Amino acid sequence: MKQSYITFRSVTFAQKAERILKKAGLECTLQRTPKELSQRGCGYCLGMRPGQVIRAAQLLNRENVDYGKLYAVNPEGGYEEIRI
Amino acid sequence: MIYLDNGATSLHKPQEVHRAVANTLRYCANPGRGGHEAAMAASRQVFACREEASRLFRCPAERVVMTTNCTHGLNIAINSLIPPDSRVVISGFEHNAVTRPLHARRTKIRVAGRRLFDWEDMLESFEKALKSGVDAAVFTHVSNVFGYILPVEEMAALCRHYGVPFILDAAQSAGVLSVDMEALGAAFIAMPGHKGLLGPQGTGLLLCGHEPRPLLFGGTGSESLSQSMPSYLPDSLEAGTLNVPGIAGLAAGLRYVRSRGIDKIFQQEHRAMTRAAADLQALGFHPFVGEHQAATVSFMPETDCEQAAKMLAEQGIAVRAGLHCAPLAHESAGTLETGTVRISFGHDANPGQNAHLRRALAKIIPVKG
Repeated sequence: MKQSYITFRSVTFAQKAERILKKAGLECTLQRTPKELSQRGCGYCLGMRPGQVIRAAQLLNRENVDYGKLYAVNPEGGYEEIRI
Repeated sequence: MIYLDNGATSLHKPQEVHRAVANTLRYCANPGRGGHEAAMAASRQVFACREEASRLFRCPAERVVMTTNCTHGLNIAINSLIPPDSRVVISGFEHNAVTRPLHARRTKIRVAGRRLFDWEDMLESFEKALKSGVDAAVFTHVSNVFGYILPVEEMAALCRHYGVPFILDAAQSAGVLSVDMEALGAAFIAMPGHKGLLGPQGTGLLLCGHEPRPLLFGGTGSESLSQSMPSYLPDSLEAGTLNVPGIAGLAAGLRYVRSRGIDKIFQQEHRAMTRAAADLQALGFHPFVGEHQAATVSFMPETDCEQAAKMLAEQGIAVRAGLHCAPLAHESAGTLETGTVRISFGHDANPGQNAHLRRALAKIIPVKG
């Protein structure tokens, strides 16, 4: 697994999440959602190391930040949804 | 020029505001519309403004909506909360930004509290209206004509008690009085960015406690495959490209206000208003003064209001004359026929401004008695 993503419906939620995660010491990068993961067209996501995505999602749940789905890039380069 | 028309807009913005606008014009593209650095920089500016407003007004950042002015915010709020033909209670000191959208929706308007600077009258008649059965309330925090500070905490508590949703017009109070979304429990609070918050013209904020209905439809940079507007804030209310330079300037204004402190700004402005009112009285005029007054004072000269304002302008004093887009407030105060001359101080209020004003008043307007 090379990279993980948390998707968001809105850039504002992605920015709010970025602020919370960085404050908690979780490195992440705000970026456009890859087309394959953007089901309704156009969106933003946070990219982060695979080992951090579950903790990040738990933190966002605790802070009531609305996010979409969690994904990881598999060794073949495809995307796999992560369920928690 | 001595600028005393801050009720219309603040002219002298902090240097930080000028810098923020200029830098944003240089480096920022369209927020939420791309992943390149210039688009992301724009998104950061907009989000920074939401966060600043969130801290100052205790409202979640995503529920802070960027508008083009207070009127825009009020129109969204009224469109969202008040269906046509509803029964609405308003104060006797509302601006046309409230009354015109209500009239356009054919609402049955009940006016409460017509006596200037009289909280008892306001609260008594407001509660009576709530008891009689209304669907919503809309009221201003501060009268733009007279500087009358309404008892909004008590009015909000009455609305909560009777289960009536309300909209607060914070056009004249944001940046100088506490506006606390969480404590008030408003459905919506609308405010301009360019008055007490010291941002550029063309900016405003709408704080949303209630779920809104879009007034504009179009691109939001999100859910592009759908032909419906996004259902979530802030995207649902922000169709089209935002005024990023203005918003960056507004963020700088919000930071300035927060770092100086709202109470300190209010006290400085209020002292200047009190001095101006005393000078007007000493010169034989009868300014409208009372308890619960912000940094605005109105008076009626012997000459026509417009003529008086023109004469003051010739002396280098900028004030506003007329009805100030608030005929209801004038009707309440008995000045609908004449209008008033309005003096409104800003964050840069100082005794020097009062001295200039005093000299100009004495020179151009004959002393009574």
